[in-house]
Amino acid sequence: MKHEDVRELLPAYALDALAPEEARAVEAHLLECDECRGELAAFREVAGALAGGVAMANPPADLRGKVLAAARPDRGAGRSAGWPWGLAAAAALIVLLAATSAYLAHRVTVLTARLTTQERVLALLASPTAQSAVLSGSVQANVRFVYDRARGQGALVVSGLGDPGEGFVYELWLVAGKEPQSAGVFRPIPGQPIIVPVTADFGRYQAVAISVERGPQGAPRPTTAPILAGAL
Amino acid sequence: MQGGPARGGEEARLLAQIAAGDAESFAALYDRYSRPVYSLAWKMLGDSHAAQEITQEVFEGIWRGAAAYRPGRGTARSWILALAHHKSVDAVRRQRIRVAEPLPDLPADAPDVVGQVLQRVEGAQVRAALETLSEGQRAVVVLAYYGGYTQAEIAARLGVPLGTVKTRMRDGLLRLRGVLRDVEESVT
Repeated sequence: MKHEDVRELLPAYALDALAPEEARAVEAHLLECDECRGELAAFREVAGALAGGVAMANPPADLRGKVLAAARPDRGAGRSAGWPWGLAAAAALIVLLAATSAYLAHRVTVLTARLTTQERVLALLASPTAQSAVLSGSVQANVRFVYDRARGQGALVVSGLGDPGEGFVYELWLVAGKEPQSAGVFRPIPGQPIIVPVTADFGRYQAVAISVERGPQGAPRPTTAPILAGAL
Repeated sequence: MQGGPARGGEEARLLAQIAAGDAESFAALYDRYSRPVYSLAWKMLGDSHAAQEITQEVFEGIWRGAAAYRPGRGTARSWILALAHHKSVDAVRRQRIRVAEPLPDLPADAPDVVGQVLQRVEGAQVRAALETLSEGQRAVVVLAYYGGYTQAEIAARLGVPLGTVKTRMRDGLLRLRGVLRDVEESVT
């Protein structure tokens, strides 16, 4: 992500108001940008002041013992080691633990996001006002668009769609008259169905379509003929 | 207001000692910050048990990660409360998934949600500071910080473009920065 793009996201980052992928992109940039770190620190101070706005309550007294039990001196990794090799080993272990926990945190975020979209589709399917459209066209795939006009919620469910090719993505379009509007880009994962959630006023659109566009961002207007389409 | 640079320096020193494995400094930091950390989590999650878990996680994080604190990068207080907020937001989002709340982007009930979330703010100084914001700025700051909503969810809820949410968030925080500079209501 470019410096200017990250800078724009710093207030939301300070308020923990970014989606996990965006937050990770910001963090990656922060490692190498002093200016952004400085600006973030200022926003963080404001956030810290906001924390003081909630009514104060004392935690239960027994919590103190539980928390402090975690801090017995013998529990710290290599903390009692008074010689360099011990420190080096401890440092290596900390790096390893940090990497492992960052990886696990990442996995949890990914799985949680996937679960959220799946729940969203389940909620859609359970809705009595939901409708669905099958997309067909020049390629073989099982692609269906489920949507609920009343709630403005929809999702594209894709399975068995081939790879769009190196450097390309599939882009989903909502079509009103002759005006297609982008509703997101995706790449298939082999052997796994994909769900692309869409929030829109579906009453305004007559069709959904998918075209192959240049990745990773896709295009503002379709540049190729749609490979799949379906009427809403 | 008993804050100021002296206190900030003292807390930075506590964190440095914790990083070196000093359990006594850790206890001192717990006594100073367990209240604001627990209260923030409690207000955001509405559940004392969950708030205790968050508090425990936050202090475990401080015990293990105190070395990551850089005094040049803001006060110890904002570092600790950022950790508490981050973990509370994570928990709020997990909680929302579990209860499968009505999908979080229907604009219709937006004013209500802002009002509900705003009820969590009881500190007079912070309330007064929030009053100095425009209605739009207040809504995005409050929904983000106290409600745990992402900027995209807020845009959907308020029915405004994402760019507008970003601008209001930045302008709102800059304005609050001027007003809230010395507020340390929570640590008393």
